[in-house]
Amino acid sequence: MKAHKWKISHLIIGSLIGLIMSSAIFLSHLISEESIIMLVIFNLLFISLIFPLDGPLSAKTILLSAGNIIGFAWNYLFYLFLYDVTISLKVRFDSAFIIVSPIANLLWIVSFWSISLTTLSSSKTRLRCET
Amino acid sequence: MIVEFLVAFIFVLSIIMMAYLVRHFVFSLTVLGILRRKELPAPKNIAYEPAVTVLIPAHNEQRVIGRILQRMTELTYPENKMQIIVIDDASTDDTGKIAEDYARRYSQIHVLRRSKNVGGKGKASALNSALGYAQHEIILCFDADYYPQKDVVERLVKPFSDPKVGAVQGRVTVLNEPQNIVTRLVTLERIGGYRVDQQARESLGLIAQFGGTVGGFRRTLIESLGGWDESVLAEDTDLTFSVYLAGFRVQYVLEAECYEEAVETWGAYWKQRYRWAKGHMQCCSKHMFKLFRSKNLSFKQKIDGLLLLNIYFMPVLAFFLWLSGISLFLLDFPQWINILWGPVQISLLSFMGNFAPFFEVGIGAYLDGRKRACWLIPLLIFTFLYNVLICTKAFFDLIVSKIFRKKHHSWVKTTHSGNGNCYIL
Repeated sequence: MKAHKWKISHLIIGSLIGLIMSSAIFLSHLISEESIIMLVIFNLLFISLIFPLDGPLSAKTILLSAGNIIGFAWNYLFYLFLYDVTISLKVRFDSAFIIVSPIANLLWIVSFWSISLTTLSSSKTRLRCET
Repeated sequence: MIVEFLVAFIFVLSIIMMAYLVRHFVFSLTVLGILRRKELPAPKNIAYEPAVTVLIPAHNEQRVIGRILQRMTELTYPENKMQIIVIDDASTDDTGKIAEDYARRYSQIHVLRRSKNVGGKGKASALNSALGYAQHEIILCFDADYYPQKDVVERLVKPFSDPKVGAVQGRVTVLNEPQNIVTRLVTLERIGGYRVDQQARESLGLIAQFGGTVGGFRRTLIESLGGWDESVLAEDTDLTFSVYLAGFRVQYVLEAECYEEAVETWGAYWKQRYRWAKGHMQCCSKHMFKLFRSKNLSFKQKIDGLLLLNIYFMPVLAFFLWLSGISLFLLDFPQWINILWGPVQISLLSFMGNFAPFFEVGIGAYLDGRKRACWLIPLLIFTFLYNVLICTKAFFDLIVSKIFRKKHHSWVKTTHSGNGNCYIL
């Protein structure tokens, strides 16, 4: 079984990028606290589990940055969309947001995770049954 | 009062959910080599080749029994050291006839036929009936729909050179993966379960699980445990905990691979998972307190065992957590719940695909080089929702059977179509 080396340099660089992006998003005050928490969880999972994998650092960095931008845009647009919907339906915005937002976040996080792994994954075909 | 109760309920469940999330995160880090326990010296080049008995329980498996028996004749393990017993468990089709045909041609294959009066009561009952006919100390077990690699026996028996190993488990992969969306999603579940979950538990010295097939055990150990408990639907989980409580361990062998014919329809998926869920819940009530009292298990094994025993309750709790959360938000809620709610939702919704979170399944697919399989990970949300329904029904059915003191739980067999044959090269 091939051992996967822990790419510590990739992890450090990834952590720095994640920290910078999370801080920038936090300081923008454009998305809610809940959305920032979801982005922090995404960064934590992505940096610790994707950055140690084989693959160029540039690809991982682009993916992490893209993930943060998509997450930020998704949450911002979702916030605006839900705001309009709750006003037109005359329901409480905070309750609706809290209930729906984690599911909405999960949709992009899982999909982006899937795309990232596909990008990094080698195309080698698995040996079937016997060699 | 209701609000306070809901807050307390959500808080406790959130902690439990996040414990599972952390567990799977640790498992993922472990298989990536970031966390690893100190390696034990591996017994290399040990000339350990004991005689083995292979049990193949079969109930109405005419479409697949020939495939595994043919494969048994192609194994690289010495024929004179193998006794293969096909347990024709009151089949009403040609299973027995096909097995008898192989038994006539190959001396190592034997058929044990069970009549309708005594047979057809489930796998545990079938295996118990064959135990008396097994001639050897090491017993391996394969389901009739499985298709092992040629050197699987060598790989599975090797760990038994360690006297502390009571049982071994090999890796299960899906044979009929390209068939449809159900088989593809089951494949992802299997990847999460066997490539990451089982491997990590083995590496961390936790509770590796005996899966009832593609595995083996010591005959003397199972006899000392009184054989399989026929009242439990998940005889494999039951045996796993019995082995650990008896002071032995289960060793997972990633390299011992075997293909299974996965369920092909949502109906078959429901029946199989319902049996697993109910059986697992039975095991929980049977072993939970013994687990804590045991002096043969380390603290981390007890914690892992606790989480493993309760895993099928999680979709049920997730369902109640979700309802409580919505009720609480509609009534009134303390602000700190806002902060907790996001991670909780990630935790509970990540119990998708046989309860392995999306990141764990993804890492498993990556390590297997399954580039295209990664695309389907978002669809595992549907299997999670389906499992919520399955486990909730199993939970309530079990409660009803406890109230009415019903001890017998009917075994619903998984039907195999034999469609996997076309994927064999």
